[in-house]
Parts: sequence; C-alpha cells; structure tokens
Amino acid sequence: MTTSDPMRVTPLEKFPPQENWDHWEELDAKAWPRKEKKAYSLIPTTCFNCEAACGLVAYVDKETDEIRKIEGNPFHPGSRGRNCAKGPATINQVNDPERILYPMKRSGPRGTGQFERTTWDEVLDTLAGRIRKAIQEKRLTEVMYHVGRPGADGYMDRVLQSWGVDGHNSHTNVCSAAARLGYALWSGHDRPSPDYEHAKFILLISAHLETGHYFNPHAQRIIDAKSSGAKIATVDIRLSNTASMSDYWLAPRPGTEALMLLGFAHVILQSDLADDNFIKTWVNWHAWLDARGHERDFGGFMEELKVEYAWATPEHVAEVTGLTAEQIRTVGREIGEAGSKFAAHVWRNSASGNKGGWQVARCLQFVVTLVGAVNAEGGTSGNGYNKFVAKPFDVPSPQAVWSDLLYPREWPLSHHELSFVLPHLLRDGRGKIDTYFTRVYNPVWTNPDGCVWMEVLQDKDLIGCHAALTPTWNETARHADYVLPMGVATERHDLTSQETHAAKWIAFRQPVMREVMRRRGEEVEWTWQANPGEVWEEDEFWIALSWRIDPDGELGIRKHFESPYRPGERVTIDEYYRWIFENSVPGLPEAASKVGLEPLEYMRRHGAFLVEDNVYVTHEEPLPADKLKDAVFDNDRAEVRKDGEVIGVFADGKSMVGFHTPSKKLEIHAPVMAEWGWPEFTEPGYIKSHIDEAELDRDAGEMVLVSTFRLPTLIHTRSANSKWLSELTNTNPVWINTVDARCLGIASGDLLKVESRIGYYVNKAWVTEGIRPGVIACSHHMGRWRLEGDQHSVNSWQCHGMTLDRQGTVYKYRRQVDVQPFDSDDKDSAKVWWTEGGVHQNFIFPVQPDPVSGMHCWHQKVTVAKAGPDDRYGDIQVDTAKSMDVFREWQRETRPPTGGLRRPLHFKRVLRPTDDAYRLET
Amino acid sequence: MPYGFVIDQTRCIGCHACTVACKSENDVPVGDFRTWVKYTEIGTFPTVRRHFSVLRCNHCTSAPCVTICPINALDKRSDGIVDLDRDVCIGCKACMQACPYDALCLNEETGGAEKCHYCAHRVDQGLVPACVVVCPEEAIISGDFSDPESKIAKLRSRPDAVVRRSEQGTGPNIHYIGADPVSLDPGTALEPNLYIWSERRFEAPDYPPVMPDGVDLYPDATTVLDVNHKVHWGWKVSAYLVTKGIGAGAILLAPLVGAAAAGTNAGDYAPEIVGIFFLAVTLPLLVVDLKRPLQFLSILLRPNVKSWLVKGSWVLTAFGGAALGALVARAMGNDQLADILRYAGMPLAVGAACYTALLFAQCEGRDLWQNTRWLAPQLLAQTVFLGALALLPFLPANMSLAWLVTIGGVAHAGISLREAYGGHETTNARLAASLMPRIPAWPGSKFMAFRLGLVITAIVSLAAPAVASAGWLNSDLGWVPASVLALSAFVGTFFYEQCYIRAGQLPPLS
Repeated sequence: MTTSDPMRVTPLEKFPPQENWDHWEELDAKAWPRKEKKAYSLIPTTCFNCEAACGLVAYVDKETDEIRKIEGNPFHPGSRGRNCAKGPATINQVNDPERILYPMKRSGPRGTGQFERTTWDEVLDTLAGRIRKAIQEKRLTEVMYHVGRPGADGYMDRVLQSWGVDGHNSHTNVCSAAARLGYALWSGHDRPSPDYEHAKFILLISAHLETGHYFNPHAQRIIDAKSSGAKIATVDIRLSNTASMSDYWLAPRPGTEALMLLGFAHVILQSDLADDNFIKTWVNWHAWLDARGHERDFGGFMEELKVEYAWATPEHVAEVTGLTAEQIRTVGREIGEAGSKFAAHVWRNSASGNKGGWQVARCLQFVVTLVGAVNAEGGTSGNGYNKFVAKPFDVPSPQAVWSDLLYPREWPLSHHELSFVLPHLLRDGRGKIDTYFTRVYNPVWTNPDGCVWMEVLQDKDLIGCHAALTPTWNETARHADYVLPMGVATERHDLTSQETHAAKWIAFRQPVMREVMRRRGEEVEWTWQANPGEVWEEDEFWIALSWRIDPDGELGIRKHFESPYRPGERVTIDEYYRWIFENSVPGLPEAASKVGLEPLEYMRRHGAFLVEDNVYVTHEEPLPADKLKDAVFDNDRAEVRKDGEVIGVFADGKSMVGFHTPSKKLEIHAPVMAEWGWPEFTEPGYIKSHIDEAELDRDAGEMVLVSTFRLPTLIHTRSANSKWLSELTNTNPVWINTVDARCLGIASGDLLKVESRIGYYVNKAWVTEGIRPGVIACSHHMGRWRLEGDQHSVNSWQCHGMTLDRQGTVYKYRRQVDVQPFDSDDKDSAKVWWTEGGVHQNFIFPVQPDPVSGMHCWHQKVTVAKAGPDDRYGDIQVDTAKSMDVFREWQRETRPPTGGLRRPLHFKRVLRPTDDAYRLET
Repeated sequence: MPYGFVIDQTRCIGCHACTVACKSENDVPVGDFRTWVKYTEIGTFPTVRRHFSVLRCNHCTSAPCVTICPINALDKRSDGIVDLDRDVCIGCKACMQACPYDALCLNEETGGAEKCHYCAHRVDQGLVPACVVVCPEEAIISGDFSDPESKIAKLRSRPDAVVRRSEQGTGPNIHYIGADPVSLDPGTALEPNLYIWSERRFEAPDYPPVMPDGVDLYPDATTVLDVNHKVHWGWKVSAYLVTKGIGAGAILLAPLVGAAAAGTNAGDYAPEIVGIFFLAVTLPLLVVDLKRPLQFLSILLRPNVKSWLVKGSWVLTAFGGAALGALVARAMGNDQLADILRYAGMPLAVGAACYTALLFAQCEGRDLWQNTRWLAPQLLAQTVFLGALALLPFLPANMSLAWLVTIGGVAHAGISLREAYGGHETTNARLAASLMPRIPAWPGSKFMAFRLGLVITAIVSLAAPAVASAGWLNSDLGWVPASVLALSAFVGTFFYEQCYIRAGQLPPLS
C-alpha cells in the first residue's frame, strides 16, 4: 500500500506521522464517499475528565478554526495513544450548546439561580479587593480554595502560599482519605503504584477496568498482564465489569474486607510463602517485638507473627465475610506464589465505605509486604516513586497559620482536609470564610448532606463571597455569587503527572486554539482570547488575581508573579511553563535539543515526556554521602542513625534511603498510632464497620447501601454535558439481589423507597444476580437536577427539572420534567430519546467522618421498602435538623491530640505550613 | 486483500470507547449506532459473570445488504470493506431487512442508512479505523486476513475464533475470540424492561428467550445493556402486498372474465382498469415508504440488477405496460392485439404477484420471509383470491370467479396456518412464526391481526360461491354484496400481512 501521496501512511497506521501534525490533510468522513480533504492542525493536550490525565490530540480545522475531533496522543507514556469513552467525548463538552461562556454574577438572592453577565474586570477587582483586605487584616484562614478535580500538580500551592493563607481544601476525604492513611502508616506514601504489567497476580479492591485512579492506563496494563497469564482477583460487593473480567470475584459482606486480607496473610504465613529476606531488612519488626517487650531474633518474630494472626483461619474468615474458606485459601496461596510479582490496589471501594476502612489499605499493604512485592518489578510501589512533580520558578515560603476548618483538631491523623464537614464546622462556629472558591467541585451534589451545604452556602455570615470556577454548570454554582467559566481539556494549561506504571512522566495540557494561533504568528495575551466566549483558564486567572491583590508589591505577593525572564514584569503563562521545562524536568532539555526544539516547544508538540522509565526498588537507593558523616551504622537493627534519629537502612554493608517513615522501614508496627491516642491500632487489624452485620436490624428491612460505584462512561458531575456519554448512560437504578427482590415482591423497574437516617429517595429497582444478597447498590453519577424556574437550562442531556418544597428543615424534591428533546444549536438535542437522568442519592446521606482517617464512610445503613402509592420516581426528602445529630455522633468518637501538636510532623499535609503552625495554642 | 476485524473479548472491558470514537469520527447522530457494546449476564450469585460483545457490520464476504440494495449504494470493495454511499441511498431500508446482524440503522435526519464502513475514508489514507485507535485494550484488531504473518490472520486461525450467526452463510469477516455464545446468539437471553444503566429505547419483547438449535438452554442469562433496533417496514409494505395482489389478480384473471362476458364493459375493460388502478395505488405506497422518496427514480437510473427490488420494479413496469397496452388497444378497437396483450399479461401478473417471494428471500435477516417455497404459492393464492374478488362486483353471478375466490382464499388461509404453526427450519423463523398470532390488528387493539385476517378470509372464501349462486344477484344491485365481500377480503388480507411483516422483523438479530 504505497502511494505518492505524502499525506498517506504505509501500511495502516494508527496516527498521522508527527512531521505532518502542523498540516494534516484528511478525507472528510462526513463527505464520504466523496473524497474531500480537509486540513487540520493536530495539537496535543491532556484529558480533563477523570484524574488519569491521558493524552489527547485535537484536530483543529484550519479553515474554520473549529475542533473537528479529539483522538489519543501516541506520545503519552501513560495512555499510549488510547482512551476510554470520555476522551473522544471531550468534543461534546467543547461544543455543549448550553455552556456558560461568560462570567456571571448573582442577580437575585443566593441560591435562587438568578444570574446576569458581568465582566472579568469586575470579577477580578471584587475578589482581589476582598482577598487583599483579608490578608491585610491577617484573616489568613478566611480565604479558601476548594478543589474537586485538580488536574494539575502543585500550581495552586504556589499561589496560596504566596498569599500566605492556609486555604487549600480538597475532595480527598470523600474519596481516598481512608486508603491514604492505611498506606501512609506503612511507608509514608499514601497511595500505591502497582506495576500491573509485569505482575503474576493482581488483587483489585477497586474497579480498575472501568474507573478509578487511573482507569485507562491501568486497565491497559492489567489486561496486558492477563493476556500474559497473570491472574486477577477483584473484590467488589457488586459485579463490576472488572470483576467480570477477573479469575476470582470476591464479594465479601461489606465491611469485612480487612479480615479477608488478614485471611490471605494467615495463609501466606502458615504456608511459609512470606519473603523472609525482604521482611528482615525492610520491615520494622524490632519495633513490633519491642512493643511487646520480647527480645527475639528475626526467626522469633516470624514465629510470633504467625501466632499473632493464627486466629484468622480461612474457616473463621469465611464465616464472617461470607466467602468460602476455599476462596481464602486459594487466593492466599496464589498471592504467596506470585511473591514479589503481586500487584494490588485498593481504590475507594471498601476503604471509602466503612468506618475503619483505612485498615483495609493497611491490611492490603501487609500482604504486599509479606510477599516482598514492595517496589518490586511486577509488585506494588508507592505513588511518589512514579510521579514527577516539577518545581516552578518560584516557591514561596510556607504559610505560618493553620486553619481549623481544613484540618480540625479532632482529626489529627486525617488524610486530608475534612472537606465534607466544612458546613458543619462553620455552623459550629469553628471559623468563617470571607472569600470561597469552589473549583471543578460540586459539593452540593457530590458530597453527603448536600442540603446542609446549600444552607451554609446561602448564609452570608458564614461565607462572605463564593466564586464557582467551573467548566460546566452545576448544582453548587447555582448557589454561588459568581459563576466563572473555566476551560475544558482543550482550553487550558496544566502540568500533570500520575503514577500509572513503573515510570515517571509529565503531561502538558494546553489550549489548542491558542496554540494554533501562536503557530500562525498571532499574538495571544490571554488564553480566553482564543477560547470560546470569555472562557478563562485558571492558571492565568490566578496570576491576574494575585497581581491585582498586590499591585504595588506592598504585600510581598507580587514578586512571586514576576517573570523569571523579564524582571519586574508580570509572568506570562508561557514563561511559567517554559521555565519549568527548561529547568525542572531532568532530560527534557536534552531530548528537546535532540530534535532541534526548545523545551517548551517540545512539550507543545509532544504533549508529554517520559522522565524516567522502569522505576523499581527505589528504597535501595544509597544514602547521599554527606548524610553519612557522623552516622552510626547498626547492623543488628539494620539502621543508619544520626543524632539519635534513624536516617536510613543498613544491610549487606550498604546504607540505603529506605522509606518515608520515622524508622525508614515499612512499619508493621506504627508507634504514631499509640502516640496519637489509638494504641489499639498500632498494627494491621480489622475494625468492625458501622454497617457490620451486628448493626443491622434485618427484620426491620435494614440493608447496606453501597453508593460509590462509578461507571466507565461518566465522571462524577462533569459529564452530563456530553451527549454521547448521556446516551449510553442515563439511569442509576438500585441494584438488588433476586432473593431480596423476591422478599419485597418487586421486579426490575418497580419503585423502591430507600431511607437513611436523614431522609429517603425513590428509585427504580434493578433486580440482579450481580450483587450480594442483603446489600443494595446505586451508581453515583446520576440524578442531576435543576429547579424549575431556574434561569438557565443546563446539562439538558441528563438533567431533569425538580420542584423543591421546603418546610423548615425538611426539603421535599419532586421530579417534574423528564429529560427530553430540546432546542439548541446542536441538531442532536432534538433526538434525545431517553427520558431519565437517574436519582440524586447523596442528598440523603448524613456525614460519617471516620474518627481516625477523617474519611466520609460512604456505606449507609438504610431501610428498603416497596414504594407507597404517594411515592413517585425521583422523590427525595431530607431533614437537615437530623444531619447535625449524626455529625456530632461521629465527631464524639474522635480523639483530639493531647500533646502540643495538631498533627504528626512526619505526616504529609496538603499545603504544608511552617512547623510552628503545627503547635496547638495553649 | 480482505480487511476484517478480530474482536478479542478476552481483552475487551466493555468501556464503550469504540462506540464514542465511532460517533466522533463519523458524526453519527444521537440514536444511531454503527458499533455498540452489548452486555450479557449469565449465572447466579456469586458465580454470575458479565460478558461483553462489540457488535457491528461484519463486512460479509457475500453481503446480503449489497445484493438487495436496489441502487448500488452499498458496495463490497475489492479490499473487502462493505461501504455505503450515503448520498445516493434512497432510504428503502431493504438493507436493514437483508442484514442478519442489525448492522445498519436509519439516520432519521438524512433519511439514509448508516453503517460501519471500516472507516474507509481513513483506510484509503493508510489509517486504521477510529475504534482501533481508541481501544484501550487493543481488543479490536484490524488488518488484512490474507497476510498470514499479520496479527489478525494469526488470531483468526485460533480454534476459539467464531463468527456471529454463521448459519446465515454470509461469510462474516469479524471473528470473535473468547466471546460467550449467549452474547453473540441473539435472543437467547432474557430482555429486562430497563438496562443496568440505561433506559431501553424500545419496550422489551414480551416473549421468552429462544434457544438456538442444538444449544442448551441459557435459563439464567440476561441482556443487561444493548442498543434497541427499530422495526423498519410497517403498514405501507403490508398495504403494498395487498394492492399489488389485487392488481396482479385482476390481470391474471382477465382472460377468464373476458371469455365470460365478452363484449361487455365488464369483460372488455374491468380487469385492466382494476389492474392499473391498483398498480397505481401500489407505486405511491412504495415511494412514500422510501425515506428519500424524491430519489426513487434512482431505482431505474442506477439499478442493481441482482436486487429483486429492481427486478421487481421491472416486472411491475412490464406488467403495467401490458395492462395499459391491452386497455388502449381495446379502446382503439384492436381486439386482437388487446387479447394478445391480455394473455401476455398473465405470466407478468404471476411475476408481479410472486417476485416479492424472491425479494423476501434476499432478506437474510428475516428467516420467516425466506420460506420461499411456501411464500411464492401463498402470494399466488392471495393474488387469485384478491383478483377474483376485485372482479366479482363486475360479474356478481360468475361462479368461476366465486370458486376461484374459494380456492385462492382457502389456499391462502391454509398456507397462513402452515406458516404460523407448521414449523420452520431456523430458530429465528420459528420465533417469528410464534409471534405471528400475537400481533395486534392495530396498536393497542385486543384483536389479533392474524386471527382477524384469517376469519375474514375464511368467511369470504366460503360466502363467495353461496352469494354468487343466489339468483337475485342478477339484479342491478348484485355488485353491492360482491363489493362488500371484496373490501372485507382486502382488509382481512391486510391484517394478515401486517402480522406477517411485523412478526418477521421482531426476532432479534444482535
């Protein structure tokens, strides 16, 4: 298949040759079979739907300047040119006929959904004025930036620290907080990075073949391993697509997963499949023995360890978990036999569902450690080893304040901000907020207790001004003072890195139209000038805002935003990234010069860069020589100490860096737990969940609701603006096992009433064999709503119209308008054939902050019944008076610190302040 | 150099990336799918599993859609791709009847068909189809089967590689690896009234799953996510069968009537006038059923001579020409020529009546309709029945006509019963047959079309000789009861065709 046509590839290839990306002529699919060619500029960027940050390439029509389609980026080391459904669907988000294209300012009372167009100048002046005043008045905890999906690494830390505020809030504690604590206790890294590709056995307490951190890149490598003969076990209460593709689907009773893992550990220990050599050097077994006052050698430790977990027999585990002893034995042995080639992951799932869920991650890492798979090829690394966060040109000093709203003192070990109880803390007078930014974040909808969020967001005494920075309209934006449209994947700059495999890479998101204009030689000062309407990008927004906060440099902020290339001038976004690519990314300048490009130009044309490949056994890196001066080398304890502190691991005559823990070892015994009031949790164990079988009154119809599972086609509340994704996925019925359905006398499609402590919803039943009896489940993406009478029609592909009848603290929502065909510039909007958009379930969840990790424990104890004659599909009722009671119940279980610190100094903290700020005021 | 796909279901994770990438690449409207993913669940907790199957055009070696397309809009290219020229497509929907895989859909906006064309516009530029690019798992493998060293050729030769519905004999060029049979055998799983995370576009069928021949029951299999397909041919096609049958019958019986009533208007002119009138009604029905009716002349201008839609149109043209010629010759006083044309019209009438059996035989997706050895005689019987009835009002006491009504009607009813209850060779046909008696006469009706049609046919068949033999029919008003009989029979036959046409399209193909 050769031809003289220079635009033709030989033989069939996946991507046009890169040398033609500037000008690629392609036959127009719409005109076919007429052979009409159209010319495109191919501009790489990065997906902004889920967190995986996969590579994209936008095809920009040279004639019309419109994006024709979005494909994968073959240069991206994580996604390798491939994408999930959400990648190509980005074009829907760009062309969403109901996009907010201009900054909007509230024109009615807060929360009434009335807005009018305003100017960016007005927005920047107002917000800068407020923030400047707060900083001048030393109200440094009253400016808060609350982020849902960051989509970037570190950019905001720099901005907030330049302002000197302690104001970074996140979504972590409705997502991954529990698992983070479990992992951090072992190694200091709070997330795993499994090397699936080379694994022999993969254990997923997650659904990585359809969702999660990081779906597409991980799914590729898991399936590659499967094709090479690896076996997969998936733990999930409902039959996920992932479970379906696995060799073993384990659906234990919810809340018993940690016990199941201890069962595996038991089998590995009893079968002598543990990796003694690894454990001897890299686990702090001395501390384990010390805590018991036993003076024994390593062999003695291993004997005692067997005894310690002797009770977790397969038979006992089977009885509690509802699995079979055979399953525990088989999977345990398979893990043991895979040895160091054991890749495992817990993402959300049981860790995020249960009180004590953090022990799930800890028990999982226990198993990983037992078989010596930590940081091994085919094993499981720490996320930090496979992620590269590049330093910017200027790093401000840490702030000297601590916000009790972010890291409240009751949860000193939380990982991290207690984001979802922010309204409860505000209500309790724990602080207030002058200027509040929500950014790609929809707490009213996504978080539990959304009605309390609405109440607090409407309270001007608690939140002075609220600006919602968002690429899409959402239920939270409706309650803001300003709705500020921010770019989607093809309209913004960001630099991202994710731990997708045993390597380190960076991916560059860029506004594609701005890049096209630049290549044409057109000057673009701000990205919004190239974007649709007046859609800004956050990077530039923060520069512009910071500049206005401190126009003359009086507050010491301005200097952080002055160009590293043009002293005294405001830094441009190009300069910001240019500096990083020239100075902070090892190997990038060399790689760029090899192809005759400047580093920034290289990234603009490739979109990604592989910083390091095949990253393994990082803990064995030698300690730097300068650290070894005056150090003590302890052969017995395999430690390097200096000034009484452990600084490394000493074995076989080598001094090595070890792990990010006080002992530099993997901590099977974590003294920090005892020091911070939890002596019963110093070691991996099993904590009974708040939805443990003993907590349920089965006769009263109580069941466990699993509400967290995601679908492969949607992403939280950010994909209702995609017609293709909505067409594929438009309802979230309640999964219920056939046996339970029979008892209730219901069939698929019948209405169920699901009642929590604070309210109920009415949804359709999905009667299935794919869920454990006694448990119901409901996917969390759907049930998007607008209130009838709202000014803007938004997300109409998935949004239905509700009416709200509020009586005091009781909120009654009723669905009034189905999803239906609508008029717009997109002809497809007249072809909407589906009528549902699902039911919003998070409204009825009270907050359930884990007393240790601070994670919202998502699993809900609910009563399930057949809907009554007055119940209608989509009904929701909530009583916020009950919400605070539940919050206080959980709050009472915490153990605030008794020492002088707010948090262990060796624990990670987002936007880490000065050490002084850790001190509790006395 | 045949291109094809291997779809490796041992790697496919059911993520729908292919579906969306296809929409993006080819600008496929909401509601239409050129490729989609079906989910099927089999088993009971905790051993239940979900199976995925990526479904789309098979780019068949002998593609029935290409054969039936009247205007060559569908084309089997030399590289194996079955391509579609959407500009020339007239929206006759015959390809949707011919395809045994539900691979074509109708773009309501353009009125033309849509299908996977292997991204021919990309292939011609040396690029693989968009679905292959996007697939996270490289589970969709494209390439040239004839290159033994290619990945695709090696995968195809694996013993576990299978094609969909091989019994259709179309030579599919998508080979599936590791697919569960239930996910590829249409109709073998239970169809719930909603899906796992999507509404159904069309209501679930109210019949239980049917097992393919020689396959054990799948009692615990459920389709949990799928794309629903429209029934494309409706009342216009049923009506066409009736009107065409009347016209053809009138011409077929013209010599008989002529002999019985030579020299009268009834004997000389009635058959041709009836024949031409009903042919004239038939043509607009056919044209109106096209989604692009203004392009109907393409059938004559760029005909696909293999398509019985085209051959049928020639037969109808010749048939109409003969009838018109006979009429004109008679009017001009040339009785000899008129009689010759009248006799020549007989075989053309048989052709006009029966070519539909051959057209339906080309509908590989409709096994019920492919029962040619019964459909052809049935159409002939129907034609005799309808034609005799159409002429009876002109000669109300003609016993030959009356007995032809009886013979035609009884034969038609008998074959109808055979079709519904007499057994069929394939599962698809058996399912369709079992659904025939369950089609309502009109939407929401409690009367079943099949029963209503047969009862009317039976009554008319038996009543015709009795009515014709009643002496008073020689009066001037004799045409009234004969007309009542005729109109009743037309309606009855229409009901029968409604159930036959609809039931034939109901068995799932994907």
